Amino acid sequence: MRVVLADDSLLLREGVARLLEEAGLDVVAQAGDGEDLLRKVGAHKPDVAIVDVRMPPTHTDEGLRAAAEIRDKHPDTGVLVLSQYIEEAYAMELLSSNAEGVGYLLKDRVADLERFIDAVRRVGEGGSALDPEVVSRLLGRRRQEDPLAEISPREREVLALMAEGRSNHAIATELVVTERAVEKHVTSIFNKLNLPPTVDDHRRVLAVLTYLKA
Amino acid sequence: MLGLRRALLVLFALGILFAGLDVALVLSSNHEDQKVATAILGPLIGLSFIGTGVFAWWRRPLNRFGLLMTGVGFAWFLAGLADSNNATVFTLGSYVAPLYLVIVIQMVLAFPSGRLETLGQRVVIATAYLDALLVRLPFFLLGGDISNGASGRTPDNVFAITDAPDLAEVFDYTSMFVAVVVLIASLVLLVRKRNAATQPQRRALAPMLWTGFALVAFLGLAFLFDVLGLPNEMADVASLLALVAFAVLPFAFLAGLVRSRYSRAGAVGELIERLNNPEADRSLGLALADALGDRSLKLVYWRPSAGHYVTYDGRAVQLPAPGSGRAVTEVEREGIRVGAIIHDASLADEPDLVRAVAASAALALENERLEAELRARLDELQTSRSRLVEVSMFERRRLERDLHDGAQQRLVALSLQLGLAQRRLQDGDDRSAGALLDAARDELGRALEELRELARGIHPAVLTDRGLEAAIEALAERAALPVSLGEMPAERLPPPVEAAAYFVVAEALTNVTKYARASQAEVRIARNGGYAVVEVHDDGVGGADPATGTGLRGLADRLAALDGRLEVHSPPGEGTTVRAEVPCG
Repeated sequence: MRVVLADDSLLLREGVARLLEEAGLDVVAQAGDGEDLLRKVGAHKPDVAIVDVRMPPTHTDEGLRAAAEIRDKHPDTGVLVLSQYIEEAYAMELLSSNAEGVGYLLKDRVADLERFIDAVRRVGEGGSALDPEVVSRLLGRRRQEDPLAEISPREREVLALMAEGRSNHAIATELVVTERAVEKHVTSIFNKLNLPPTVDDHRRVLAVLTYLKA
Repeated sequence: MLGLRRALLVLFALGILFAGLDVALVLSSNHEDQKVATAILGPLIGLSFIGTGVFAWWRRPLNRFGLLMTGVGFAWFLAGLADSNNATVFTLGSYVAPLYLVIVIQMVLAFPSGRLETLGQRVVIATAYLDALLVRLPFFLLGGDISNGASGRTPDNVFAITDAPDLAEVFDYTSMFVAVVVLIASLVLLVRKRNAATQPQRRALAPMLWTGFALVAFLGLAFLFDVLGLPNEMADVASLLALVAFAVLPFAFLAGLVRSRYSRAGAVGELIERLNNPEADRSLGLALADALGDRSLKLVYWRPSAGHYVTYDGRAVQLPAPGSGRAVTEVEREGIRVGAIIHDASLADEPDLVRAVAASAALALENERLEAELRARLDELQTSRSRLVEVSMFERRRLERDLHDGAQQRLVALSLQLGLAQRRLQDGDDRSAGALLDAARDELGRALEELRELARGIHPAVLTDRGLEAAIEALAERAALPVSLGEMPAERLPPPVEAAAYFVVAEALTNVTKYARASQAEVRIARNGGYAVVEVHDDGVGGADPATGTGLRGLADRLAALDGRLEVHSPPGEGTTVRAEVPCG
């Protein structure tokens, strides 16, 4: 899997590159700002671009804008956005139209090597990766006549992992249950939330997020 | 002044002499039809002009109006020469006879300044002089009939060099026709003058303008009837009315003086009454405007703390420049400036009156001044408070940025290194795990260092614990150039004052390092009266402008919040001194 890495902090860029290389991913280019990133993505056509939200010159949301442009011009390149803050607005902006090949993670997640690499791979393969923090905030929202109240604690765990973009297989491994059991939970959740059943992992992320956001 | 007075007295004596000669001429004349009337009225009219003219001249030596009026009187006596039985004197008198009319029209048009102020006025008067002295000359030279309808036998026309009465008549008519045009133009100019005048001016102008208007109008009619060949009686009536208006002019001038004087003097009394009546209209500006008859009058209040005038709303104002048509009278109370009256420049002719009005309003003005001062301060407080909010927003953003780019970034890197080290340990690679942990510890050290710097920027602990001197010493040590410390306060100051002083020094030293290209700086903090005075001086390039840059302005706002103030003295090439004064409560 080929990766382009963008972050204005050389220290972090080098650290993450090293980590990705060790995990067997191929870091084909590094960039220090949004423009540089777009150029290198255009040149290398990587499977995934890992992008810091805040980069020069304005130090505001360059990364997000670059990510949107990559999604627009290079649909085959997944974009994983890293941020030091969790902003649901950013996450929704990224994932609202299409959750395929998109990820949004807190920067700290790089320290959990396995999970970070897993998220990178998932986004690179066209899946999604949403930070658990975002998911838990979405789940924690107060709603009137909340159907989530009817969901069992186990189902809640499954729903959260689903929202993060994990596959049934991954959820089964994480929760140490069979894939069959996960499937049963998923069907039950979809029923309780009145969502049309979806087999496709990617589509169901969007369905769940749309539901949670509403 | 004494010289002028003597000269004017001599002039008046000369006028009396002329009057006497005039009477002698009239009484001995063998062609004057109205001997008694002329002998009595002639000198009276002439002397009333000379007397009033001399008085006006003495009162305002720089104003040419007095000169013009005196001139009219003497020209009037010159016209009296036509009563002489001597042919030469008679002819000369007849020739210069219309001159007094030209001068009197000039005088009316030039009222009250004594100068013809518009091009139109100058053109009309120049034409009048040409008409009287040049266009009429051929009439005399061609042997015209200059008897002027007298019943007795008049002396000969000595100017005549040939005898062509018919051709001479042509010039006589031309001259009268031009006179009609000049008089009509003068009427228009008088109306314009009246319309252009400000209200207080009109009050003083009115008697003179209306009498002048009547004079010019009747004179115009008299000439017009003559030119049109209408019966002589009509022209005679118009001439008589014109003569009456002419004779009234000096008294009209005096009436204008009295009118503006007395009506204003009454107004001062009214003003005092109004100011003392709590139920009256409270607007001092309006009361003063009424008292001085100047609707455009404005009151401004002195703000000693800011060193400029403000309006009642507390906004700063510029005083009008001299020559702008507005004049300023400062108002003092017990020797202290409290405000100023901005009024029509024409009122400056009556400085005593304006001062009398100002003096009677001084107490009320002082009260309003205090209110204006309060409003101005409130206004400043509001802007400074909103700027403070801005500054604090700006500081928060900077803090967030520093945290984001600094310590936070390092901590993420650190956690990444720990993750890698953990993996090495799982793989049994103790050596490279150890190297990663070493790197992680260095990273942690740097992150802590950055957090410390940041915390100091927010509020240095040493300032709280050890006070200003120790905190300033620490600043000086860390500065990028040698900083010497001068006087420091022996005892602790209130915490907000210490913090303000500390940040003044910190910001000033930062600026010295960034911009001043200085080789050294000096800091001193002294207690002076109830104030802590902070001074930071450098020997750099100077030219610093506190209006630009958020740093110094932010400081100024912080100080303003404590009722203190910031001054930056920075002449180019002479280094910069930042001086802050903070009241110690």
